[in-house]
Amino acid sequence: MATFHVVQEGPVNALALNRDNTQVAIGGRNVFKVYTIEEDKFREVCNLRASKHLNLSFSCNDVSWSWTDDHYLATAATNGHVCVWNLTKMGKAMQEQDYQEHKRTVNKVNFHASEPNRLISGSQDGTMRYFDIRAKNAVAIFYSNTESVRDVQFSPHNPYTFAAVSENGSVQLWDVRRPDRYQQQFAAHSGPIFACDWHPESTWLATASRDKTIKVWDLTSKLTLEYTIHTIASIGHIKWRPQRRYHIASCALVVDCSINIWDVRRPYIPFAAFNEHKDIPSGVAWKEDPHTFLSSGRDCTLYQHSFNFASRPASKANPQGVSLNNKGEVLYAHKVNVNNAIVKAAVGIIRKTSTTQSPDQFHLASSLMHQFTESPRGEQSESEIFLGLANNYVLSGRSLSEMCEHNSAVAKQYGKDQVAVVWKIIKTMYGEEYLQNSTSTNREDVVSHNNLPLNNIMGGIEHTNENDQRSRGGDTPVAQFSDETENEDQVDHIAIYSNGFPTYLNFRTGLPKGDFSFGENEIDMEFDTMITDFQSGYRNYVTPQQDFVLPNEAFHLRHEIRNRTPPPDKFPNSNFPVMNDDSQTIPLEEQPQTLLTVSCLPKMPLYDSSSIVLDALKHHAILGDVQTAACVLIVLGDQRKTLNELDESTQEHWLLGYIELLSRYQLWNIATQIIKLSWIPSVEQLNQQSTRFNTNCSKCSKALQRIGWLCDRCHSSQYALCSVCHQVVKGLYAWCQGCSHGGHLAHMRQWFAINKMCPTGCRHLCEYK
Amino acid sequence: MSYQDEEEGGAFDGHASSFPKDFGYGAFDGEHDVNLSASGEQKPRILLMGLRRSGKSSIQKVVFHKMSPNETLFLESTNKIVKDDINNSSFVQFQIWDFPGQIDFFDSSFDSDMIFGGCGALVFVIDAQDDYMEALNKLNLTVTKAYKVNPNIKFEVFIHKVDGLGDDFKMESQRDIHQRATDDLADSGYDQIHLSFHLTSIYDHSIFEAFSKVVQKLIPQLPALENLLNILNTNSAIEKSFLFDVVSKIYIATDSTPVDMQSYELCCDMIDVVIDVSWIYGHVFSVKEEQDPAAFDEQSSSLIKLNNGTVLYLREVNKFLALVCILREDNFDHKGIIDYNFLCFREAIQQVFELRNKCQGNPLTNSAGSPIVNGNNIIGERHLSPTLTDEIGSK
Repeated sequence: MATFHVVQEGPVNALALNRDNTQVAIGGRNVFKVYTIEEDKFREVCNLRASKHLNLSFSCNDVSWSWTDDHYLATAATNGHVCVWNLTKMGKAMQEQDYQEHKRTVNKVNFHASEPNRLISGSQDGTMRYFDIRAKNAVAIFYSNTESVRDVQFSPHNPYTFAAVSENGSVQLWDVRRPDRYQQQFAAHSGPIFACDWHPESTWLATASRDKTIKVWDLTSKLTLEYTIHTIASIGHIKWRPQRRYHIASCALVVDCSINIWDVRRPYIPFAAFNEHKDIPSGVAWKEDPHTFLSSGRDCTLYQHSFNFASRPASKANPQGVSLNNKGEVLYAHKVNVNNAIVKAAVGIIRKTSTTQSPDQFHLASSLMHQFTESPRGEQSESEIFLGLANNYVLSGRSLSEMCEHNSAVAKQYGKDQVAVVWKIIKTMYGEEYLQNSTSTNREDVVSHNNLPLNNIMGGIEHTNENDQRSRGGDTPVAQFSDETENEDQVDHIAIYSNGFPTYLNFRTGLPKGDFSFGENEIDMEFDTMITDFQSGYRNYVTPQQDFVLPNEAFHLRHEIRNRTPPPDKFPNSNFPVMNDDSQTIPLEEQPQTLLTVSCLPKMPLYDSSSIVLDALKHHAILGDVQTAACVLIVLGDQRKTLNELDESTQEHWLLGYIELLSRYQLWNIATQIIKLSWIPSVEQLNQQSTRFNTNCSKCSKALQRIGWLCDRCHSSQYALCSVCHQVVKGLYAWCQGCSHGGHLAHMRQWFAINKMCPTGCRHLCEYK
Repeated sequence: MSYQDEEEGGAFDGHASSFPKDFGYGAFDGEHDVNLSASGEQKPRILLMGLRRSGKSSIQKVVFHKMSPNETLFLESTNKIVKDDINNSSFVQFQIWDFPGQIDFFDSSFDSDMIFGGCGALVFVIDAQDDYMEALNKLNLTVTKAYKVNPNIKFEVFIHKVDGLGDDFKMESQRDIHQRATDDLADSGYDQIHLSFHLTSIYDHSIFEAFSKVVQKLIPQLPALENLLNILNTNSAIEKSFLFDVVSKIYIATDSTPVDMQSYELCCDMIDVVIDVSWIYGHVFSVKEEQDPAAFDEQSSSLIKLNNGTVLYLREVNKFLALVCILREDNFDHKGIIDYNFLCFREAIQQVFELRNKCQGNPLTNSAGSPIVNGNNIIGERHLSPTLTDEIGSK
């Protein structure tokens, strides 16, 4: 099975194989030859252009070889002639028939598959003609009433049906017995259709068009569009691959010089490509087996290709893909190395939904797609979140743990998962139970009990940050890491799979049993290696789940934490998968001894978490989230003193910043609460400063600094007189805002109990009721 | 339909290289520039119809008056029939009748015999971005009415303004319109009427292509022209050739290989370039035609080499027509052969139309096309094949 070729003197427009696939006829404007296909070369049998009487009938647009009689060839010529050639004869007699019926170029000619002597032609003049090669004229004429017919193909399933595609984008199905009217017509493409091909087994018809798509139609009772393949250029020829239900070969009309074999289920990247041609290929013919085919090209060559030499574009494609949409959702698809189940486990934590990509036969079901959506609150604006958090945080009055817990829940509710995690860390590090326990003597219990959630959370943070998205993060249920999740995912995939690709269901459900039935179509040399790969991959994929029971790293990790208390942000990511059920329970039960012996107990309570907390707070403050920094500081209460690296000016800066923000949002109450709760004198005094408001003298507008009823400048208390009793009002002065007259509160009240007018007689109606 | 104007033909007989003027053939030597004054009834007529605001006037302005698509926004709505003679400038001697959308066929002033009688094609424009049910009713009404008067009319439906639609929706509405329109016709018993559908937009070249197809259907010599182009391509190793109407940039004919949209756009752009450049530099003031200097004359020819190894080659065929070829650069080595072949081709085209001139015995039928095909074969064989194949064989 080698790839070999032969060069012609001119571009080749079409090729046709004979019934036994031993000979090939090629036709072009200056080429018309028959070759015998040998093991590794083509041998020229005859050159039909050798005759001296060349005319335009010898330049072919299309060639067809009779299915029943090996001696007959039919050609379609650009001048509208359809010629039938008898290869057994010589010289001029070879041209047995020359039908000059089409007015314009004949684009396609095809012999009937079962009826001997019958052929059909499709022409630019919009007609199809059905010939009996024994008759001088067409047996039947079919008027398509469309612009021009580009391709006609007899159905392999029904001897009377043929399909015709035309330049106006419509497909017509005809019955050869009824030339008057087509059976069915439908608009298939938005541009001219250049080729069609019946599926050899099922009732599918593939059409290829200038609109850069290949469409596969199911023509059973109701017409449905089954698949659409998007190509990079207009497609001129298509041909289904024999014995491969989903494979179709295509040749582009421009730009793309390769012959692509598509898996119709994978519509964007070819399954295999053959790049031998230097110019666009013009035709493809499969030799009955799916591994070899012949192709002709505008580069004057005739090739035989072998599938062994196909290039696989899919394998060169970047297996990762990330995409963002305008809602801030991230879609990430990647290939999963099936031999490395650990990677998958690690990925599991950040997954919200996962679906498998459409599998092709290279990477069967081995890609994952993750969709990261923002949590439901995600669509809220920052200011709304700020408001909500400010209103709902509890900053005093409860125990530190409770407050942290509550605040964490609040933060989570508003979609601030990272902040929620920070609260949890604070709780863990400074919570009462931790402090109590740390002073107790039962240390090993403490260690094992408290470190776990901590390190769980840290892991969560790590992951959250690294993936830069709002994942479930630290508070992901532990079960998520467990084997069950894996299995659920598996089930998930199958479900999704079966929705999208019902035909593959068998294969997928067969998977857990290790029984890989590809369906008879798929059993194939080239896949054998792949299958074994995948099987071994699958085995590997299953076995690590048992390995998970005792991951060694779990113990190392624990030791490390206790010995060196490494900052959590240095946790190697690869260790992350140890966060599963087993690593939590088993080590504790089995290894208390180890824990006791190795620990350096005195240091434990002194674990200096301040730098981490400080880093976290600074991080948030830098990000502009001074709210978190300030609130954490407040909630910490006295514990904040342990953050000795945090100087007071920064604390003050944060608090003032938060208060400033709160007052911008008009959250006066909360601002006041913050001020009250603050420990820094300059902040604390905020509410005690400038609490005094002076009234102004109503004559000279000078502020009445000393007393409210005597102006220092005018030296008169004329404007502080009660309008009822005409005495200076030295206490509360009540006045009408309409006429600005007033007086003693009691007097005014008395007056207005009876009157409605102003007591000064300004006729202002002070009391409306 | 008549393509022939007896009096005009007679008048021009005296000229050295006279040519049927009714189809707008200028003399090849360029001296006898045509002052076509054929009366309206004898020109093939294209009617543009459709609901109001469906884009009829825009199409007409963009295709035949070189208006930029963006400017069509400011077109006033048409409120009377605008007869536009595509005259003097274009090969296509057509009258475009732009009908106001709100025209009522049952109005007594509407002379359907006059309007549909001499009409070659009826283009019905449907706004795809709008609800098209009303348009379909109108289409059905128009088509049946026109068919009763003149069963030879070609009915073309432009599903217009598709630039604003997504691919799927485009397909969907095309199918829907297609289905409904043909069903409606079948329901009203006009099974035999055939509608052609085109997806068009003035913002790309689809409108030009659609118009090309409309015009091609009205040219009885199309098979001959196509065949000539095929032969030219075969013998000159040309990949693709278009016979363009220079002014409107619609192609009168092309060879039988599939038309690729990019190639077509390239050729259109090339014509623009040639015209623009010759307006600046190629302008020859001759005493005779000072009042009407043309940017396109018998000396026009242009060669553009693209960086992908492709050559665009433009040659003037006659006053209105240009041949634009796309070929590979290495095949362009034989420019002499190509030029020679082109001269043969030009001569052949001349003969095609002369032949038609001779068969004016039955000028009123479209079937005049078939003798031309046969005649053309003779022309093709005699004038092109023997000489050309020899030369190419020897290259």
